[in-house]
Amino acid sequence: MEQNFILIAYIVPVVVGLLLMTPTGASLFGNLLVSRNPLMVHARRRHMLGMNLVAITGFIVSVHTLWITNKISEGGNVCSSATVFSCDDVLGNAAYNTDPVFGLSWGLIGMVAFGAILFITNSVNKEPDALWAERYLKYGMYMTGAGLAVIALLVSYEIQMGKICQFCTMAHISNVVALFGFWKAGQMHDRGQWNDEAVVESESKE
Amino acid sequence: MKHDLEADVRTDTGIKILALFFAAIMFLAFTTDPIATGTKAGERAPNLEGMAYNGSGWTSFEMSDYFITNWTKGDPSGEWMLVEFMDTDCTFCLRAAGEVAQNSNYFMKIDKDNDGTPAWKGPTVNFIASATQLDIPNHETSREEIVGFRDKTGDQECGGSACATRQGGAHAFVYIDDIDQDNMKAWKVPGTPAYYLVQPDGIVAWSSSENSNEEVRDAIFRLTLEEE
Repeated sequence: MEQNFILIAYIVPVVVGLLLMTPTGASLFGNLLVSRNPLMVHARRRHMLGMNLVAITGFIVSVHTLWITNKISEGGNVCSSATVFSCDDVLGNAAYNTDPVFGLSWGLIGMVAFGAILFITNSVNKEPDALWAERYLKYGMYMTGAGLAVIALLVSYEIQMGKICQFCTMAHISNVVALFGFWKAGQMHDRGQWNDEAVVESESKE
Repeated sequence: MKHDLEADVRTDTGIKILALFFAAIMFLAFTTDPIATGTKAGERAPNLEGMAYNGSGWTSFEMSDYFITNWTKGDPSGEWMLVEFMDTDCTFCLRAAGEVAQNSNYFMKIDKDNDGTPAWKGPTVNFIASATQLDIPNHETSREEIVGFRDKTGDQECGGSACATRQGGAHAFVYIDDIDQDNMKAWKVPGTPAYYLVQPDGIVAWSSSENSNEEVRDAIFRLTLEEE
């Protein structure tokens, strides 16, 4: 039960982050955000806030999965379950809990990946008009796109084991949402919705 | 001269992300004490699983079911495990079968003193054999051959002669079907026979590959009788 509460604590920021990247987020959280920070009237700022939320959640989930892996190796039970949702069975399986090339724990790989995503989203958030910003967003899209192959491999492991690690799935979802965020940021660039001024002008014309 | 005036944002962010990463690593270091999975002494033994023959039939076996995770060194109530990787057609395994029979009967407390108490006074050491099929010509095996090797029965051939005539008595411990080599690969066994002494909590205490100068029997005496 406790594990379900922790899982909800991860689901909420990812869902909020995803909504902030969509027009639904503007209608749901727009007024609240603008009342606290008037600059949040711009879609790009809400978008980057959403991306940062998703990236930090992915990072924390990765730390959590590495923590569970370590605890299981000590001989403890963290989230063992007789049902299909049993992260102990997945993260504790020595045949699958490390990458096949370097033998690194998947949690540590997740930490590095989401750390890099967090670096991109934070940097671009601070300097959205920098010359490198658009290029960095593309790097982020390529990286999270490559993450889909890793997710496919890990899901294939789960199918072989007949068990699902709910926290790992949360990290996978964060990666997919981040991929959407990077793609959407590219679209905003292409449509001229990236600059604050452009958005203000278009809004004032409406 | 051109200056990159935007570099500070990335440097600042990079330092913050690295600090976050470092904090996460520190948290993991202070709250966990991970043990690597492997077959060297001090590592957590990989799981050993498969269909096992116990003398009466083939049943599902999983070694981790027998671990006592909160076992402490010196606790005599915990049961140790001696895992043998063997091939029913391996000459060295056939030669060792007699000694393995003696050791298993003694340390599994089957041998009794005159007063009926077990001859071995230390903690029980349960023997487990993982019977594989090495990728060598004439090493084809089967479950019937594994049964023949263990029980010394039937008309199967082990290493060119009848399994029933191999050295030593019949074995009284479980034999796991590892003909597909799954367990052998997971344990990275260099060759057969190979022996691993596993503590009740699932940690490898000794392996024959790391201690080629020490006999299995001596290792059990030395390690199981150690005090806290």
